[in-house]
Amino acid sequence: MAHGWARREDARLLTGHGRYVADIAVPGCLDAAFVRSSVAHGRLCGVDCAPARRVPGVRGAWAAADLPGLPPVPLTALAGMSSAEVVAGRVWPSLAVDRVRYAGEAVAVVVGEDRYRAEDGVAEIVVRTDPLPPAVSVAEALDGSVPLFEGLDNVVLERSVGVPIDEAVWGRAAVVVEARYRQQLLLPSPMECRAFLAVPEKDRLTVWCSHQAPYRLRRELAEALDLPVERIRVVTPDSGGAFGSKSATFPEYLTVAFLALTQGAPIRWIEDRAESLLAATRGRGQDQRVRLAADAEGLLLAYELRIDADVGAYPHIGAGLPMQTARMATGAYATPLVHATVRSVLTTTMPTYPYRGAGRPEAAFALERSMDVLADRLGMDPAELRRRNFIPPERFPYETPTGRRYDSGNYAGALDLALKTLDYDGWRAERVRRRASVTALPLGIGLSCYVERSGGEEGGLHEFGGVEACPDGTVIARCGTASSGQSHQTTFSSLVAATLGLDSSRVRFAEGDTDELADGVGSYASRSAQVGGPALHRAATALIGLARERAARLWRLPVGEVAWSGGTLSSRADDAVALDLGELVRVTGSLRVDERFESGMAFPFGTHAAVVEVDPGLGTVRVLRLVAVDDCGVMLNPAAVEGQARGSIAQGIGQALYEGVPYDEAGVPLLPYGLLDYLLPTFTEMPPVEVRETSTPTPWTPLGAKGAGESGCIGTPAAIVNAVADALGVTDPDLLRMPLTPDAVWRAARASAVGSEAGSTVGEGL
Amino acid sequence: MKPAAFDYIVPGTVGEAVGALAEAGERARILAGGQSLILEMRCRRCLPELVVDINRVQGLDQLRVEDGGLQVGALVRHRAFESPRVAPGPLGRLLSRTVVNIAHPPIRALGTMAGSLAWAHPAAEWGAVAVGLDADIELRGRAGTRTVAAHDYFHGPHRTECRPQEMITSVRLPLLDDTVGVAFVEHRRTRAGFAQVAVAVALTVLDGVITQAFIGLANAADRPVRAQVAELSLIGAEIGSSFSDPVIFGSALSDGHPFGHAARIAAEGDADPCAQPYADVEYQRQVVAVLVGRALCQAASDRQAHAGHDGSAGEWR
Amino acid sequence: MNITLTVNGRVHRLDVEPRRALGDVLREDCGLTGTHLGCEQGVCGSCTVVVDGRAVRSCLLLAVQCDGCSVRTVEGLAGRDGEPHPLQRAFSAEHALQCGFCTPGFLMLAVAALESDPAIADDPERLRELLTSNLCRCTGYEPIRRAIMRAAGRP
Repeated sequence: MAHGWARREDARLLTGHGRYVADIAVPGCLDAAFVRSSVAHGRLCGVDCAPARRVPGVRGAWAAADLPGLPPVPLTALAGMSSAEVVAGRVWPSLAVDRVRYAGEAVAVVVGEDRYRAEDGVAEIVVRTDPLPPAVSVAEALDGSVPLFEGLDNVVLERSVGVPIDEAVWGRAAVVVEARYRQQLLLPSPMECRAFLAVPEKDRLTVWCSHQAPYRLRRELAEALDLPVERIRVVTPDSGGAFGSKSATFPEYLTVAFLALTQGAPIRWIEDRAESLLAATRGRGQDQRVRLAADAEGLLLAYELRIDADVGAYPHIGAGLPMQTARMATGAYATPLVHATVRSVLTTTMPTYPYRGAGRPEAAFALERSMDVLADRLGMDPAELRRRNFIPPERFPYETPTGRRYDSGNYAGALDLALKTLDYDGWRAERVRRRASVTALPLGIGLSCYVERSGGEEGGLHEFGGVEACPDGTVIARCGTASSGQSHQTTFSSLVAATLGLDSSRVRFAEGDTDELADGVGSYASRSAQVGGPALHRAATALIGLARERAARLWRLPVGEVAWSGGTLSSRADDAVALDLGELVRVTGSLRVDERFESGMAFPFGTHAAVVEVDPGLGTVRVLRLVAVDDCGVMLNPAAVEGQARGSIAQGIGQALYEGVPYDEAGVPLLPYGLLDYLLPTFTEMPPVEVRETSTPTPWTPLGAKGAGESGCIGTPAAIVNAVADALGVTDPDLLRMPLTPDAVWRAARASAVGSEAGSTVGEGL
Repeated sequence: MKPAAFDYIVPGTVGEAVGALAEAGERARILAGGQSLILEMRCRRCLPELVVDINRVQGLDQLRVEDGGLQVGALVRHRAFESPRVAPGPLGRLLSRTVVNIAHPPIRALGTMAGSLAWAHPAAEWGAVAVGLDADIELRGRAGTRTVAAHDYFHGPHRTECRPQEMITSVRLPLLDDTVGVAFVEHRRTRAGFAQVAVAVALTVLDGVITQAFIGLANAADRPVRAQVAELSLIGAEIGSSFSDPVIFGSALSDGHPFGHAARIAAEGDADPCAQPYADVEYQRQVVAVLVGRALCQAASDRQAHAGHDGSAGEWR
Repeated sequence: MNITLTVNGRVHRLDVEPRRALGDVLREDCGLTGTHLGCEQGVCGSCTVVVDGRAVRSCLLLAVQCDGCSVRTVEGLAGRDGEPHPLQRAFSAEHALQCGFCTPGFLMLAVAALESDPAIADDPERLRELLTSNLCRCTGYEPIRRAIMRAAGRP
């Protein structure tokens, strides 16, 4: 504990001295606000900004036609997830040019002396659109009647992994589960919405942004604005949460940076919640069809996953993201045949992006939901079915049929600990008791054994870390990561201090400033501990070596004769010959090591188990207990890992039960009361959660840490939906679609009340 | 989400406030708790040119029992109803069970009952209570004061009998005697959301026979409604001990039970639900039926639990 | 319009437009950026401050309404000697914050509750209701509950 605080971040964040983008005071800074399309799809016939320009306090108002040099949204060629081919002919303009393709698309921008005045200007702008039919679902977009880009297909990408499965395999199987699932669109909803501040200086542009990948933002801004990278500095100060949603270069960022440069004034855009709910990134969005075949003993024979992904109005990272789902389709099982296909489809909704879990929740859900259905069909305990099919520990590294090379795992270990922690047998007895009672609410138990992937994709598995010794004896550690609440300052300072043998008070940590370190990657894909940690470890180790070499030269000793201990260099032969690290720097000059580290992909895993109780009359689901056993290898900071687990579980519960975006007939999101309509879980919705861990290190890094932080989004939803199905005895897997809102559960309960009580009436289950 | 500009006055008396309204009419809005108004202004769905802040008007914060009723001034905050002692007997219990469903403590620190009725959102809890108990709403304009019964007051979503030149000065709720059992039951998707349906019940039971019933429904129509047909069906019904499980979930109330019967009538006859996301009309009717049934059971339990206090019936049935 | 706000014991004489919310005035006019705006519709509670002893949403309150009022924000929680408030210590000890954006709102919600009604810590139902007032997207809430219990001397 530093000065009585458990985390270094706490001293400022608990006292009101954190510094988020909106807190940064820049003299003369102007506020931008955007005019957004109120229609989902239409031809843009005219935008009249003139009335806004007459509003007191408004400094300017522009539509696309007024800003000829405004660059479009760049393609993020991240890990091969998107490609020039996908994007060709489907340009995403920063301000809509002649067509709007989703409700909330930015059509014009107003800059005012403050946000109040900017919004006054927005209110005056007249947008004329000639509506076109919307297509807010994949099914509507696939029928071809609503092309988003003239002459181009709404399907932007079709790929597959694994080998197509011979039809005979399904015929031979004792049981084949066929099901359709829906991964609804979700709003990541960090408590701080997006925030961007551009400050033009003499020959540079400094950008402050709540962002997960400052170097990527710098590179993409530089390319778009046609500036050398050195002329842009990106700083990510404190960030109020990201969850994947703050990793891109958004239309608003480009517009504001462009205006700051052309107007020569500092301008910021602090997204408000209404904009965020309409126009910030959304995650998930898949229609899935599965077939899962097993023999009579429950051994899996084949699994097929077909994904129609909703990627929104413009093909961006979201177009390739479903490939994550496809590649992770194998899950935790030694299924010999697995085949997954992806079709990415444009719809008239805000483009999809990664959201915590990013492709893995969709994979885990489809498989784990199907496993419970299969167990039911086989009359087998779902835990036993899984145990029979797990990839055993001795088969790692394991090449999956869907092209992944799993590093390490002990899936049965996590399952066993979860069952024990839950008191699986006790709850099963309670379920039996309740089934026999006419007054007890039905209770169900659900399991979900997930495998995820952390660190990133090929080409993005590296990170940069640096360690510098200062003349005053302190050490600065730098990393290319960017925290949005993950305690990097605490964790990485401690890691570097421990590696150097120093008290952690001597280590300062700097990240999220492109001027601090030449290059970096960022914090997404659960990569910071796994990839950034070893980069810092390597740099600290190298610093010790360099310090010993310097001391050896100074003392004219062989390096082997120089010892390093707790920040002090000494001669092994003569204790009196010793130098503190700070003295060494003062004598020999600056001492800094910057390193690059490249990890392999790691595959964290675990088992989540849920117990739920359903009120069949209303369809409400109450989660009574949730157990999460996660294995992320070696934990660098167990408290931070547990915190991440708990937070991601809350978001997993949100997907399972509460969160979703309804659209009206015109294709506009129906969220008139914002967060009173898009329901994030509150304290009341949280069940008692128990978090446990097993530890199976990754062999690919010296620290053995795999990524952490997304497990709840990945593992929890299927556990809850399985539990609801178990409680109600729902045998048709198509009936329970997330979010399991009360009306959906009530209908499923009614449909599965054996369909026997014909002519069911209102008030049933009163 | 910043409000548009407006003029702002802080009258010291009701007379000054209604004087300002008389001048400005539809261009003005009364600001009391502001917990809905300021949100609407932030969304620029409500664009008053004049905001009349009545928070410093003397006397509007009064809450008192007189002439068989609870007189609730326009500035009485939701928070005041958190204690059942806010009104004697069953009314206090009903109000305190209702208020915990309204938003959360910081909103309840500022929001007011009168403001809620003025905003007239169909899902608002106070609407169900006001209509269910047939409260009187006092409207004041420059021309004078008039009293409107709650069932005449609500015209539809955000539409009421209150004219632009008028303001609510108080709400009067009838006291309930100790032969009345009360309940308030609400269903919503999470604690943060609006009520999908809410039900307020006051049931008079004498010697095991229902002699009077009030059932108010929120979000079961485009405005709060009273389930009058269901109420009628209950009059004269003998209720045995079948409600003795205070909250019946799994066990079905049969159609033969007066509560089950009334619940179905309320759902199919009295309610006129509007489809909304995650709740079509069929589901809304189902919820009305379930909640009315449960609220009636709870009200009967409440009546029984407080039977000792009425000094007459003692133990009934 | 001229108003006087006493914020954390310091008197601020301000000239504000009537439409400006208290939260904006605290942040922009008083320079107290510890109060965060998360939704500006009264739901998330990040902007919760204490006005005349009660926790309220500073986004649903006009600054002009607070003329003459006493306002407490997260910046005023620590003692005069700089010693952190027990709630601040407890939030840290229980890992009740990650990104920290919602934290000032939860702190002010809790401090007002514990000061006016210390028994709330012994009433799980009322504590549940209190905690349900604000949203957090990082912690899953349980650490926040534990922190409030710890600060109330009920570890």
